[in-house]
Amino acid sequence: MRRTYLGEFEELVLLMIAILDGQAYGVTVSQEIEQHTGRLVTFGAVHNTLIRLEEKGFVKSELGGATTERGGRRKRLFKVTALGSTALRDIQQLRNKLWQMMPESALKVSGI
Amino acid sequence: MSAPKPPGWARTLLRWLHPANTLEEVEGDLDELYEYWYRRAGKTQAVFRYSLNVISVLPPFVKRRQRKTEYDQTFFLNPDMLSNYFKIAWRNMLRQKAYSALNIAGLSIGMACSILILLWVRNELSYDRFHTNADQLFRLTCNAGDFKAAVSPAGMAAGLQSQMPQIESSVRISKPVTSLFEVGEKKFEEKRVIFADSNFLRVFSFPLVKGDVRTALNNPDALLVTEETARKYYGDQDPIGKIIRRNNQENFTIAGVLANTPSNSHLQFDFVIPMSNLARFDNDLKTATWGNFNFYTYFQLNKNVNTSDLGLNALSKQIYKLFKAHGSEMKVDFHLQPLTAIHLHSDLQIDLPGHGNMQYVNIFFVVAIFILVVACINFMNLATARSERRAKEVGLRKVVGAGRYQLIVQFLGESLIFSFLSLLIAIVIVYMLLPVFQMLTEKELAIQLLDGKLLLSLVGIAILTGLVSGSYPALFLSGFAPVKVLKGKMRVAGANLLFRNGLVITQFVVAIILLIGTAVVYKQLNFIKNRNLGFDKSNLLYLSMSGELWNKKQALKTALGENALTENFSIISQLPTAITSGTVDLEWEGQVARNEIVVPSLDVDENFVKVFKTKLLAGRGFSRDFSGDTANYVINERAMQIMGMNAGNAVGKSISFSESKGTIIGVVKDFNFKSLQHAVEPLILRLNRWGGVVIVRTRGGANEATIGKLGEISRQLNPAYPFTYGFLDKDLDNLYRSEQQMGNIFNLFAGLAIFISCLGLYGLSAFMAEQRKKEIGVRKVLGATVSGVVALLSQGFLKLILIAILLATPIAWYAMDRWLADFAYQTTIDWWVFVLAGLIAATIALVTVSFQSIRAALMNPVKSLQGD
Repeated sequence: MRRTYLGEFEELVLLMIAILDGQAYGVTVSQEIEQHTGRLVTFGAVHNTLIRLEEKGFVKSELGGATTERGGRRKRLFKVTALGSTALRDIQQLRNKLWQMMPESALKVSGI
Repeated sequence: MSAPKPPGWARTLLRWLHPANTLEEVEGDLDELYEYWYRRAGKTQAVFRYSLNVISVLPPFVKRRQRKTEYDQTFFLNPDMLSNYFKIAWRNMLRQKAYSALNIAGLSIGMACSILILLWVRNELSYDRFHTNADQLFRLTCNAGDFKAAVSPAGMAAGLQSQMPQIESSVRISKPVTSLFEVGEKKFEEKRVIFADSNFLRVFSFPLVKGDVRTALNNPDALLVTEETARKYYGDQDPIGKIIRRNNQENFTIAGVLANTPSNSHLQFDFVIPMSNLARFDNDLKTATWGNFNFYTYFQLNKNVNTSDLGLNALSKQIYKLFKAHGSEMKVDFHLQPLTAIHLHSDLQIDLPGHGNMQYVNIFFVVAIFILVVACINFMNLATARSERRAKEVGLRKVVGAGRYQLIVQFLGESLIFSFLSLLIAIVIVYMLLPVFQMLTEKELAIQLLDGKLLLSLVGIAILTGLVSGSYPALFLSGFAPVKVLKGKMRVAGANLLFRNGLVITQFVVAIILLIGTAVVYKQLNFIKNRNLGFDKSNLLYLSMSGELWNKKQALKTALGENALTENFSIISQLPTAITSGTVDLEWEGQVARNEIVVPSLDVDENFVKVFKTKLLAGRGFSRDFSGDTANYVINERAMQIMGMNAGNAVGKSISFSESKGTIIGVVKDFNFKSLQHAVEPLILRLNRWGGVVIVRTRGGANEATIGKLGEISRQLNPAYPFTYGFLDKDLDNLYRSEQQMGNIFNLFAGLAIFISCLGLYGLSAFMAEQRKKEIGVRKVLGATVSGVVALLSQGFLKLILIAILLATPIAWYAMDRWLADFAYQTTIDWWVFVLAGLIAATIALVTVSFQSIRAALMNPVKSLQGD
């Protein structure tokens, strides 16, 4: 099967969903990104990415139950699918392999 | 503390523009974020970030969530879809009225044909199955060499039953006799009178309407009549106990009334007289002979007897042994013929009349299927040819999510609608055609729609027709690629041309085979009717002797001889068409082995040769000028050959026939006295000393006057009996009734097959002409003539017909050759029959096509080319 391309931001969002473990939805994901990376992202970017990840089959979502919070509006909660977790692991492995292949001196700033 | 509220305008904007299916969650998320920002950075910052983020989830930035999971494909049998199918089918039917009419006409005529044939086949197969014990009933038949007969000796029934425990009961029935019956003023000559043993009604299931089954046939002076006959003599009166006079000499009481004989019974009778009555004077019955074959014997076997072929063979062998043990030297084999096989599988002599033929049942069954196939092909052809019209619909349905199976079901359903509509029309047609068909087949057929089996088979036919005719169009149409179809650049017509041509060829192969079949059947019938029988069969008027005529033979002869109209007469023992007697008892000079061929005999008088116009090969006929002719024989050519004599030495030889010695005085040229399905058999002519049938050779044109004169003589000498007469050539023609019927039915169905094929051809040619409208326009502009265009359009079809002729010829030849093999005298299958059938088919096809092609060719090119 052709490996679906996973963009940098998509990977970040996917990791956050995995970290949040069942509590991931638009708000938590954008807050976590802000907290852990310091990046200020628009909600639209997060929203679109979540939808795209779902289309690609890395996450699945369902609407949570209604609560008294937020005026009774339901949240859409995201979970990583099996395909999503394989994709994350594959990326991790690839990175590890590539790091190991790298010569010691490669990252040293020359001349120092 | 209450949660801070985000700015209303931004929220309105969000609600207004954000995709509806994600609005709820996004609005909630943004509310939550606003609160978060509000707490961390204050209101200004929060409002700013809120507005920015709202914009980021508005179009064109926002990505829409696909409604994947919530949107299932509609189930194809959903009521909405079903009503849609019906609507579309109905609209299509109405929009293309001409084609729908062609389709339905073809299908319904085809179905009507098949239904008619099936009714006939069902009737043929139902013979004698109404008896409760039908499976246990068998008839004892015999054969001596090639001579197979349905009769057996009078004594064997009781004799075998006493020695064979397998036989539960036995019934003997006499050959039907003609008797005069009289009740008061009413007087009729009845031909369907039989004598039967007293257990007749217990073995056979002929229902008795009035009377007691157990005692009905016990009293030798009482008889049974059928309801119809009772009404004929007694009207509405109760006939039980009434007196009826037979042959002007014997009074019977009526012991019971039988239901009318079912038309699907091989035994047909109006009167049943107890056998004990006949036993008073019949020698066969008195002596319980095992030697004279004069009765029909039926056995009811025990339930546990093995009635497979093997079992029956074993029984036959046992019967043969018992027959030998009884002291007979005749070499006769016996068989047990299942009752249900009598009607269709019997080819016996001296049998009851009116048998069917399994071969014809098979042939017509195949014909029914063929005609249905031809009708189905019509439907397939038109549907696929016109598939372009439906292509857009198929494309659109596929685009909105129809699967291939869904489309196949839809199109099959449509053809089923067509076939059921056709079935209704077909039933109406059958009702209208039934009287004609009954006349053709001389059968009582009825279509009872309430009969579950029949209804089931009708529905079965409709479903089968619908599925078969819908199959190819459904597969073909459902296979369209939506992109190609919707682009509108698809040329459907060419893709399946080969297949369609194949279908047209098949249709015409069937039609031509039927045509050739008809031609050959009629040719054979003609051949038989016009064949020289060895005597002149025309203008032979006959009067069977009855009542007082037997005693007044001399007066009769004198009366006949005195009149110029009737003076050319001869008195013979039996009509040549009805010779049922014969014996193997023939000895001659120089005989090497015992004769095993059954030799029929006919008693004739001195005028026979002159009246029948037969030819003498040697010697002379009987004559008054020679005394002692009573001990002399005239033989036919075949008998002469069998005895190893020739025309030069036969005369003067002495032979012994039926235990009486005599001398051969003459040899007549062979003449056919039986159906031409049999070759000429040997025949011994004896001098008629007693009477039988008066045959008068009328002068051409004086038939009416002669009949009048003969009637006058009959009434004068025999006033008690009504005058009945007949013509020999009509009787002879009647021998070929079943062949004649087959010819007529063949003719009807061949015509219909061609008609149905032409309906299809008409539709196809109309379609072709329409498709090539532009091409024809351009050709005409460039100078093509009308005839040129017509030829162009017709030649394609003509080619198909030619191929069909080539294919049909050998098949038809083979089939008809097989059919003719049944006749001892066959017509030839000439080449012109094939040419004629081909020409007829081609002509009809061309005429059909020309309707459309001429119209297309005459069309003004300005009109056809206007559109572009």
